[in-house]
Amino acid sequence: MTRFSIFCALLLTGALSQAEVSMTSQLDYEVTGYFADSQLSANDTRVNNSLAFRTELYTELEGDQSITFKPFFRLDENDDERTHFDVRELMWHKLADEYELKAGIGKVFWGVTESQHLVDIINQTDGVESIDGEEKLGQPMVQLMLERDWGNLDVFVLPYHRERTFIGEDGRLGPGQKYADGVYESADEENHIDLAARFYTYIDEFEYAVSVFHGTSREAALGFDATTNEVVPYYAQITQLGLEMQYLNEGWAWKFEGILRDGVPKNTMFTMAGELPVFYDGVSLTVADDDQYFASTAGFEYTQVGILDTRIDLGWVVEHLYDSRQDEASASAFEHDILFATRWAANDAASSTLLAGVLVDYEYEDYSLSIEGDTRILNNMIVSLEARVFAPKEENPLWAARDEDFIKLTLSYYL
Amino acid sequence: MIKTMLIAALFALGSVTAIAQTSQEKGLAIAVEADKRGEGFGDSQVELKMVLVDSKGTEAPRDMRVKSLEGVGEEGDKSLMIFDTPIDQKGVAMLTYTHKDKSDDQWLYLPALKRVKKISSKNKSGPFVGSEFAFEDISSQEVEKYTYNYLRDETFDGKDCFVVERFPTDKYSGYTKQVAWIDKAEYRALKIEFYDRKKSLLKTLENKDYKLYLDKFWRPALSVMQNHQTKKGTRLEYKGYEFQVGLKDREFTKNSLKRAK
Repeated sequence: MTRFSIFCALLLTGALSQAEVSMTSQLDYEVTGYFADSQLSANDTRVNNSLAFRTELYTELEGDQSITFKPFFRLDENDDERTHFDVRELMWHKLADEYELKAGIGKVFWGVTESQHLVDIINQTDGVESIDGEEKLGQPMVQLMLERDWGNLDVFVLPYHRERTFIGEDGRLGPGQKYADGVYESADEENHIDLAARFYTYIDEFEYAVSVFHGTSREAALGFDATTNEVVPYYAQITQLGLEMQYLNEGWAWKFEGILRDGVPKNTMFTMAGELPVFYDGVSLTVADDDQYFASTAGFEYTQVGILDTRIDLGWVVEHLYDSRQDEASASAFEHDILFATRWAANDAASSTLLAGVLVDYEYEDYSLSIEGDTRILNNMIVSLEARVFAPKEENPLWAARDEDFIKLTLSYYL
Repeated sequence: MIKTMLIAALFALGSVTAIAQTSQEKGLAIAVEADKRGEGFGDSQVELKMVLVDSKGTEAPRDMRVKSLEGVGEEGDKSLMIFDTPIDQKGVAMLTYTHKDKSDDQWLYLPALKRVKKISSKNKSGPFVGSEFAFEDISSQEVEKYTYNYLRDETFDGKDCFVVERFPTDKYSGYTKQVAWIDKAEYRALKIEFYDRKKSLLKTLENKDYKLYLDKFWRPALSVMQNHQTKKGTRLEYKGYEFQVGLKDREFTKNSLKRAK
């Protein structure tokens, strides 16, 4: 990692010594209100304030090269784990005639569906940032991109693994427990070199992508340390095959994402703390046998352009979420759920949008609701609103979240 | 034999245009001539300020840059539009492949999510970034996208014009017809009226302050779209047009969207 740090420092020096550096920054103030006291965390405050600052520096160098630097910092009133700094991006980019090459820290997105992003695996989730898992930590990488008539091929070498961030004991929406340092299956631990590739192309209105990943799992199998009562995140060595498809026809967008993942410890080991994939009894760490499983998200989004002679676009989203492990899946997986959502785009000068949905678990016969919306209130200010309601049944692993319903208001100021 | 037939066909064609040209044929001929005069620009780039004006006169500006690449042979033009403001939209980019014989391909890049999204061609009638321009108004105007009907000659803004109706061939178009005033001297569209699906007048576009580039290509410095039903308008102010700067195919790809700055 030292060598990597030096490389990053050199990149940064290169970027900042350049004459022409463009800079954009964003300051967020966020206030979250909870409707009930927490069942889980020691902190029973119902209001939480937080500030986040992110900036982007960009400069171009001789010979079709560029450097991008995006640091991020969050300050949270109650959760020390959520107060954190991260380099989202520090990337050198070279554009050559036959290829593109990137090296540094970066972010990559794979996927097409709305409800969850199964295929997306390059970056680690910044779990303290948002409940939907869409915020990511910067990932050290070398990326080679080829773009030809037959399609696009991206190849990745990922030399360092970032541990997932978890909500701390004093944060809401978490289990109210401490997390131990991550445990790795590989003897190289976080320095295991992961490899990944994705091929994607399109034929008229049909787009598809196939991807492969081999290395350290981004998702942690959550075990338990009986001596400290801490949660133990365990990062297995996995192989994942991914498939993404999207077909646009009239107002319909048909979407599919599927993964085949091998090497994840089963969630079925009987321990004193319940059924777990990983358990430390004070003497030795026991890991359950590996599992191979399939998971998918499949559905559609139907968009009506300019409903009822207005400028408003209205979209209907239906997606089915499946996981072949069913009851043995990790707590964060969606094994048998359906998302029904509606997306509104006002197409006004303020670029107002709204997405409201209900995720129904048809086995547990329970649901959760979400509403997300944003609008521009000044030339350089956006206000966003997020609200979630959890209504799990007692047998659902998410039962603990039943009193975590919240409304979050964010003011983003751009400078 | 083949040659004789060809010559006969040519004569037949010639006689039709000379003697019995229908108003549809004349309308098409005007569109073809206008298209021909625009040929050979190769590539271009321009800075664009889009100003949304609401019914009370309040203005909301957006800044963007547009790069265009002329299609070769049967290919349509390609264009890349990059947003600089509103500042929360900085780095958002849109790539369009215009096609003559089928719906355009269009992708939108959202930098915050690092996500490239293909846009449905059904969306073409929707407003472009909250403006009075629809997606279809800002895309490349290929001849094949309409059928035509010449109406009359008329003077507009002191210039002799053809007045031509055109009817979109794409069923997803938001218009039943457009009426264009095209000046006889240079075949430039000076004014276009847009009629909505109920056949009532929806919008009027006026292209002003035409400037000549490379001694051949006319481009307006100002385009004003007025919506008669909502009383809202949108101004497009073009600045710093450059032609034949050497843009290549690879600057109009999905990867180019991600690196657009």
